[in-house]
Amino acid sequence: MDASQLVKGLLDVAVLAVVRDEDGYGYDVVRRLRAAGLEDVGDASVYGTLRRLYSAGALTSYVVPSDEGPHRKYYAINDRGRSVLEDGSKTWRAFADTVDGVLGISRVAA
Amino acid sequence: MTAPTTTVEAQGYLGDVESELADLPADERSELLEDLALHLAALAEDGDDRTLGARLGSPADYAAELRLAAGLPPRSADGAAHGRLAAATRALRSKGTAVAGSRGVREIRSFLPQLRPAWWVLRGYLVVAVPRLRHVDGYDDFPVPALLGSHLVGGAAVVLAVVVSVMLGRRRLPRFGIAAVLVLDLLVLGAALDLVRSQPARLRSHTVYVTANPGDPFVDSPLITEAHGAVTNILAFTADGKALQDVLLFDQDGRPLATGQQHWFADHCRRVLSPPRAADGTPVPFSYPKQYVLDPEGKTLSGSPVTPGQCLPLPLPKVALPVFPKPAAQTAAKPAAHR
Repeated sequence: MDASQLVKGLLDVAVLAVVRDEDGYGYDVVRRLRAAGLEDVGDASVYGTLRRLYSAGALTSYVVPSDEGPHRKYYAINDRGRSVLEDGSKTWRAFADTVDGVLGISRVAA
Repeated sequence: MTAPTTTVEAQGYLGDVESELADLPADERSELLEDLALHLAALAEDGDDRTLGARLGSPADYAAELRLAAGLPPRSADGAAHGRLAAATRALRSKGTAVAGSRGVREIRSFLPQLRPAWWVLRGYLVVAVPRLRHVDGYDDFPVPALLGSHLVGGAAVVLAVVVSVMLGRRRLPRFGIAAVLVLDLLVLGAALDLVRSQPARLRSHTVYVTANPGDPFVDSPLITEAHGAVTNILAFTADGKALQDVLLFDQDGRPLATGQQHWFADHCRRVLSPPRAADGTPVPFSYPKQYVLDPEGKTLSGSPVTPGQCLPLPLPKVALPVFPKPAAQTAAKPAAHR
């Protein structure tokens, strides 16, 4: 897996994770990710990821009309999304463990 | 208070991003833009004083990032980034998420827009090259067409046309502009296809192909007369006009002189060479004039049996012999000494 795929995969996991417990609309998801510490994540990246996950059938969406502000398009995770999230979490865990291992060895060697 | 300006700014931003996504399929584009409109509206509610450019980056950057994240091909046919994106998209889709039936169709639809930049470049080249290729003027117009007799000018014209064509392709055009460009595209394509269709005939009429058929006088013969092509026989005469037989000819280095073999005869009868043979039985091909005898199988050039009376004796060509001075004057001295 090359680096850009890893980053993309992580963004998938992060986006799915923030809508796992509560449905969210696009900008809401951006804010949740930023609040969780991913301050540098681009708006377009989040919107693009939502779009792709939706196209891939990992998210469903529904529109909530609003009398005052703009109407909002909410995204909700579905079973497919949950399985993608689970796979992604495992991949990340394995990767993180591997990197931890590498760092641990180099620290001992030093 | 900032509401109207934000709207104008948002409209402009939306329009700019839309033009950056112009190559995407209409339904894909409209959904992305719908999301962006909601996004901009949500930002407007945020009460942030910064411009959209400051918050989101330039429309071009936004569109590029959106494409990347959404797994869509980049605007320019940037192979490397797209390859990874396509692979990631495919991986996600292959988990059974895509509707199998429409997947191929979608792949093609997402692939076609990538060909557009290639067409823009090709179009620029064709606009200059096709008229030159159609017009036969003795210049070699492929791959670089000659313009005003110069390949340099032609090449510069191609570069200019390609630049204009690409600019035209990247521009957002009004509806009638799109129609005009489409008509132009069809004309260029039609002319190019017509050229390709007629090209074999065109090539035949301008290019001599040397094919190495065995026994071909053009290939086998080292002797070629400037105006008439291959030499297939040599007729030798004495000064007083007597035709010589069985003359052995050698070149300046003492090598036997070879000529090509004649394949075609006016009476269409097939003939074979019948060189004289030395005492040990080996043929002597450098004995001139070469003797051709009728094919023992009695076939015509096309391979059918000859009809009685078809084959005629080979006529000797008429030769114009110079008239020399009488032997008395000739032996007096060297000709130059008289002057």
